[in-house]
Amino acid sequence: MTTISLSEEPRHQASSSLAMKLKNPALLLLPAVAFLSFIYLLPLVDLIRISISGPSWLTYFQRVFAVPLYWESLVRTMQISVTVAFLCLLFGYPTALLIHRTRGITRALIATAIVLPYFIAILIRTYAWMVLLGRNGPVNKFLVSIGILSEPVQLLFHRGTVLLGMTAVLLPLMVLTIYSSVSRLDPGLTRAALASGAGPIAVFWRVLLPLTLPGIGAGFLLVFVAAIGFFITPTLLGGPGDQMFAMHITQQADSVTSEGFLQALGVVLLLITLLVVAIAGRFLGLEFIWGGRKLTETTAGKAALAATSGTARRSFGSAFADAIGWPLLRLFGMLPASCGTWTVRLMGGVVVALLILPIIVVMIISFSSASYLTFPPPGFSLRWYEQFFSDTNWMRAFWTSALIAAVSAFIAVGLGTCAALGIVRGNVRGKSVIMLLLVSPIIVPPVVLGLSLYTLFLKFDLVGSVFGLAAAHAIGGLPIVVVILSAALQGVDSRLEQAAAVHGASSLTVLRLVTLPAIAPGLAAATFFAFLHSFDELVLTLFLSSAQLKTLPLMLWGDINYRLNPVLAVVSTLEVLLVVGGLFLARPVLATSQKAT
Amino acid sequence: MAEPLALRVGYPGAGVRASQSGGASERQVIGSRIAVRDAEKRYGQFHAVNRINLDIEPGEFITLLGPSGSGKTTLLNLLAGFQSLDGGEILVDGRPVHNVPTHKRGFGMVFQSYALFPNMTVTQNVAFPLRMAGVDRATTERRVAETLEIMRLSDHANKSPSEMSGGQQQRVAIARAIVMRPKVVLMDEPLSALDRRLRESIQIEIRDLHQTIGSTILFVTHDQGEALTMSDRIAVLDAGKIVQIGRPLEIYRHPSNRFVASFVGESNLIEAEIMQKRGTTVTLKNRAGYVFDAESRDAIDVGRVTVLVRPERIAIANEPTASSTPVTVTSAIFLGEILRIEAQMDGGDTLLIRCTDTARRPLPDVGDRLHVSWGPEDCWVLT
Repeated sequence: MTTISLSEEPRHQASSSLAMKLKNPALLLLPAVAFLSFIYLLPLVDLIRISISGPSWLTYFQRVFAVPLYWESLVRTMQISVTVAFLCLLFGYPTALLIHRTRGITRALIATAIVLPYFIAILIRTYAWMVLLGRNGPVNKFLVSIGILSEPVQLLFHRGTVLLGMTAVLLPLMVLTIYSSVSRLDPGLTRAALASGAGPIAVFWRVLLPLTLPGIGAGFLLVFVAAIGFFITPTLLGGPGDQMFAMHITQQADSVTSEGFLQALGVVLLLITLLVVAIAGRFLGLEFIWGGRKLTETTAGKAALAATSGTARRSFGSAFADAIGWPLLRLFGMLPASCGTWTVRLMGGVVVALLILPIIVVMIISFSSASYLTFPPPGFSLRWYEQFFSDTNWMRAFWTSALIAAVSAFIAVGLGTCAALGIVRGNVRGKSVIMLLLVSPIIVPPVVLGLSLYTLFLKFDLVGSVFGLAAAHAIGGLPIVVVILSAALQGVDSRLEQAAAVHGASSLTVLRLVTLPAIAPGLAAATFFAFLHSFDELVLTLFLSSAQLKTLPLMLWGDINYRLNPVLAVVSTLEVLLVVGGLFLARPVLATSQKAT
Repeated sequence: MAEPLALRVGYPGAGVRASQSGGASERQVIGSRIAVRDAEKRYGQFHAVNRINLDIEPGEFITLLGPSGSGKTTLLNLLAGFQSLDGGEILVDGRPVHNVPTHKRGFGMVFQSYALFPNMTVTQNVAFPLRMAGVDRATTERRVAETLEIMRLSDHANKSPSEMSGGQQQRVAIARAIVMRPKVVLMDEPLSALDRRLRESIQIEIRDLHQTIGSTILFVTHDQGEALTMSDRIAVLDAGKIVQIGRPLEIYRHPSNRFVASFVGESNLIEAEIMQKRGTTVTLKNRAGYVFDAESRDAIDVGRVTVLVRPERIAIANEPTASSTPVTVTSAIFLGEILRIEAQMDGGDTLLIRCTDTARRPLPDVGDRLHVSWGPEDCWVLT
């Protein structure tokens, strides 16, 4: 007996240690990392390789910076992006404050007005602006009716429209980022400042603004990075003088001769994006990308720094503050408190109107009885719905989109859930690097991604295949799933899992009986958003689809460029309903994941 | 524990009364007189503050004591101007304040969460009210240094709040609240986030500070021990109303009703029937048939009453005496300087007894028979 047990023991130990290794949740990261390496990192590396494959590695880049068309477009892209980011900040900050300050049903309504557009396809929201600002649109009608204009004018296709459209599209991102920073503040701080004799403006300037600066920075950079890769909105709303950099890439993609140069354009855009993100990450921590908080709080260091630098620059700085800064703040303190409140309400109101009105107008137009776009509609009918549902092309596109989205969501959720488990529960070094890899597709301009994937898809004959498109869409779906599920998993007390294990549950049983039920709502939300991401995806699809495989956004894109008719409004309305339904189901999850991140 | 508490309870009442009536003149009173008249605050159907009247003397240390949801914090917020009254008015030195925004009321305030500005150093935090008031830089620096000195924070002047312990942070918050030498300082449960030892030392610090600066202090707490230790007067709140206001000793010894009796201190509430009444002394009989005398100022002379007997007023003996009644010990815990005994009277009532530890008294076992008694002056008849 003893000899047997002795000989048994070492073998048992060896197998258990192997089993232990296999049970390390960090292994769950492998599928997602492998997936992204193959379909995301590899093509990007390949893109860079092609871009430097010219006679000299600089050849193509020299052309980018030598041809005024591209160089000027790059400068223009920067200008537009910075302006859009500033506009978003200017209007987004008061809106975030407004959400923070209101309570109950008002707050829920304002928050919905911000979040809802966030999940509606950029294409559809841009289309809504085209309807709103069109010759027969409500804005023209209104301006004529109150006598400012004598006849409808062309409001579309110039720089102002591009800025308006892009700002409206990107505002929710800014508002949500700043709100998450504002909502973390101790409400006692505002009260403490008030009780210390600071007026509303002084409270804002000395307390609120400095403390939400990281949120402002994160919001600004996220909007900026998104804006420099923008393609849909400037194409539809801009005139000939508003060509943005990403648009050149899609135009060049049609001509085969530009191989190498085309990739160089993509690499330039990618490098600018990465540079901005890297600089931002240096100050904010790269966690800002997915809305996380920097793990090491550096406020202590900053305050100490402020104190030391304060002594160095005391003479000038303090004299300036004494003479102008503080008296000015005290002067503003004379303003009645309602000034600030009303500024916030007014600007927040403008933002809500900007985000919601286009959607409402489009929904109304979808019921129009007119055969062309006009608002208000002369009468109401369901003719456009009938046309949509009886048109085989639309219906085929719809089902194709749904199929691709389902497959894509399946891939993203499968890989993402494993990865989230690995990230949160696994014990592995370099977690933040892996998280960065998993989440980075959010910041890579879709145009660049599409371009790089095109080469890969040609090689493996995936262009125009359902699976190929679904996999490509899953690149963007994966970060969404990982972020939502990591937050959900962090919300699950790991002691619950330990308790189950202590009472005899194996790790798989723990997963099945404790962990998965706890994150089930998060899982549902992640599935929905991954589905929605693929369902709405246009830019990658433009590169990777074929004439035989048309998705719904692709059909929309074609129609918007060809003729604006109310069928598009029908599609938009259906999408809005889809998002509203999904958000309603995901509501409890969103509330908790907001807390967890 | 019982004795030092009694001593400390005795001190503030006596000490401050003397200084206010002009006996000790070294204390300079700069505080405001506050009058709350029929103050009301409603949230829908819920009356958070329900027609409260309260008069606070200049320089008084008054504590609003009550369980959560009793309206004490709402009342403080109304005073601070964070919320507006739905009815009634608040007068500070005779002038109504409902149109004065918070930042112009000139109060100091200390928060439960400290609410120190994390983007400023200790010095900048404490200087903030002075800068807002437009005090010049030299004066500001001097006043901040003085205040930090008083709060024993001089060594931490250039630290960031996040580098300090909870107790230090709260002292910075107090420094910020008093640096303007405000006439009124509002304190919203400032000590509840601290551990017990620290809490007791800061209690004494605030108490001494109050003597030094002479401001009117409104202190909100749900901790009855804290209220008894620190206050000149305590206002006990329940369901948006003040149920009793008085000096700590008065509140403890002569609570106006069952709520105050059970909320402030530990208590035995004994149901008893009045047998007879002679002058201010009534003879009572409880369910177990124990007959005892009690003093009552009220005019009740028949029927059932509730009698409050504080656990430390109950005498225990191993042998029966003429005035004692037998009880069975159900639990006995040695708490250090005192014994805490729970015992059952024969009629079923449970008695809580606290007595100081002496060499002659062994810790009783569960099931032991003891003989308890109390005198007429140890009971308080509740109405």
